Amino acid sequence: MVNEMNVDLTLTPEQQRVQKLARDFATSQIIPIAEKHDKSGEFPEFIVKRALEAGIFPHSISKQYGGPGYDVVSQSLIVEELGYACCAFANILTGNLLSAHLVSLAGSEELKKYYMGKITAGGLAGFAITEPGAGSDAGSVASTARLEGDEWVLNGSKCFASFCSYAKVILVIASTNLDKGVKGLSAFVVPQEALTGTNAEHKLGLRCSDSAEITMKNVRIPKGNLVGEEGEGFTYAMQTLDVFRATVGSVACGLARRALDEAVKYCKERLDIDGKPYIRQQAVAFKLADMAIQIEAARDLVYKCVRLKETGQRITKESSMAKTFATDTAMRVAADAVRLMGAKGYSRDSVVEKLMRDIKVYQIFEGSNQIQRLVVSRAL
Amino acid sequence: MSYPLTEEQQLIQQNACEFAKEYIEPVAVEIDRDSVYPVEVVAKLAENDFFGLCFPGDFGGAEAGYLSFVLTVEEIAKVSAGVAAILVNHVALAAYSINKWGAPGQKEAFLPGLCSGAKLGAFAWSEPDHAPGAGPDRLVAVKDGDKYVLNGRKCYVENGGVAGTYVVIALSDPAAGVKGLSAFIVDAGTKGISQVRNIEKMGLRACQSTELLFTDVVVPAANLLGTAGGGLALVQEAKAAANVAEGALVLGVVQAALTESANYSKERHQFGKAIASFPAVQIMLAEMAVSIQVGRSAVYSAAALIENGERFAAEAATVKLLLSRLGTNSLIDAIQVEGGVGYCEDMSVSRLYRDVNGVFLTESSAEFAEPVIAAEVLL
Repeated sequence: MVNEMNVDLTLTPEQQRVQKLARDFATSQIIPIAEKHDKSGEFPEFIVKRALEAGIFPHSISKQYGGPGYDVVSQSLIVEELGYACCAFANILTGNLLSAHLVSLAGSEELKKYYMGKITAGGLAGFAITEPGAGSDAGSVASTARLEGDEWVLNGSKCFASFCSYAKVILVIASTNLDKGVKGLSAFVVPQEALTGTNAEHKLGLRCSDSAEITMKNVRIPKGNLVGEEGEGFTYAMQTLDVFRATVGSVACGLARRALDEAVKYCKERLDIDGKPYIRQQAVAFKLADMAIQIEAARDLVYKCVRLKETGQRITKESSMAKTFATDTAMRVAADAVRLMGAKGYSRDSVVEKLMRDIKVYQIFEGSNQIQRLVVSRAL
Repeated sequence: MSYPLTEEQQLIQQNACEFAKEYIEPVAVEIDRDSVYPVEVVAKLAENDFFGLCFPGDFGGAEAGYLSFVLTVEEIAKVSAGVAAILVNHVALAAYSINKWGAPGQKEAFLPGLCSGAKLGAFAWSEPDHAPGAGPDRLVAVKDGDKYVLNGRKCYVENGGVAGTYVVIALSDPAAGVKGLSAFIVDAGTKGISQVRNIEKMGLRACQSTELLFTDVVVPAANLLGTAGGGLALVQEAKAAANVAEGALVLGVVQAALTESANYSKERHQFGKAIASFPAVQIMLAEMAVSIQVGRSAVYSAAALIENGERFAAEAATVKLLLSRLGTNSLIDAIQVEGGVGYCEDMSVSRLYRDVNGVFLTESSAEFAEPVIAAEVLL
């Protein structure tokens, strides 16, 4: 059956409610329009307000700061259902966790109220760290921030800044001391009005999710917009990624489940050349079984990681593992779905070709899966 | 060196490489982006004897061998997989079928146009939603004296709509199941054939894919290709020959991806050095190179079997099995090497990724590779 999962007896009634809420929203509001936005590349700005009204956005802000206060498992469930519907939409609706978490880790009370307030009002919050010369080598950030009286003055450029052309507020990582490399990086809250973002060119997937290039030329922000301590920006970012990587894993699991569901539906309904359902072919059935097994394992790893986080334990290794395994699995499963579904799967008659285009970047961003392997190997 | 090529084969290969650079490269990005059928490129291909390369001189062919044809596919695919797909569908499916199973009269009537490129060939096999012959829209051919009348639909017809000559697989004996399929040569201008829609694909977008509706299409009985009921066997062998050419197509795409990602890795610096110096990157580049090496051996040796008139079913199935996997996996890695930049469409690898995944498409269990190979093993 499409979009039905085995009953997860470990979910509390509240968590089941949230999962259903997210699933219903995704099914009614996102699935019907995802294809259209992928084709046109048009940013679905309207979806934020709708998700806000449905109680899906923001998924990660605590009650203390005006958010729904969902527990970590519920947050993952929401993210997974959005990923099932469309990764681009999931990225737009849940990407604010990245910067919000960093601000909540280290920001002043005033800054936290400001930042979370922007989000709970229905604004997107972006995270700008990557630069043309700083990808995996995030420590190579060359954007600078210098203190001039009561203001920080920012200069430099960022790229691949998700939805930053539309964000109300952006967390920018810039160097307050270029000589110190990684130890010179600091985090700043920058209001959208201060920045110019231009959309990146046509991408392979995640097409309607804006990937902005940002140029900062003497951008002035109040002194109080420094988040936490100078020189600790990279540390905060890494701590945030520890958590966010599990989220990425959840999105990938959602996409993988969608690919499987589409392939199963096709194989059950399609009559093979002998007039019998295609799924009766053992090669087909076994391939679907393999996909299902891998997805189950990926979900288990992601949710183990999420539950560990709930206990307050540091989850660097686990979240790295979860991100890697879930995204690699989803990549394989999407490719398998396209291959199983033949000419239909390769065309826009089916969603799986979009899934195969969307998923590829998940092996690259939020720490490439090569970087993740470094992280895991260091923890062994 | 994977496979020893003769001087003639190397010349043909070189010629195709230069042709692709001169006539195809300037338009490769645009024809993919806009799914444009490249009329001028096709005309140039025709002018330069690509369409008739491996067919008999009697029909205007250049009498080069199948391996030579496969080499041209590889070279063209390095520049545009979509154009290579146009070529493969025309030569290895449509023209190949007529050349292999056509009666003398049929060959005289249809091959010259296909060899010269005056008419583009297409092979109409897939049907909407179900395997051919199995669903409610299946194409049925009813015999009526000295003609057949065709009704039904064909879907995902590559080169559809722009073709002049179709080889169409229809169910001529519904009671006989898979043994009731027959092949027909159908002129595109025949009354009753209409193009329902163009279908948008992930890649190979210069190659047009269409859905065709057949409404009381009258085909002379003389256009039955091969034997009545022999359609499935014809499809399987024609697709096997095409698989070998498709393998070459994948090789071209993977080579282009390897070249771009390798060059990128030399230029891109992170952590103070070129990423080409990182073992993780070298592993990915190495695996791509190995795939090409191994793939070339498989493709070229299978092509040589076809050229020499030997049995090639298992070898063709091997090409399909190997190259479909290697192609996709190589492009997953090629984009990985280029990172976020590779995900943007101003680098080529994202287009190459989209292209490579659509080369081997399976529509039914009759097209599975493993049973063919296992059958040889179990002899």
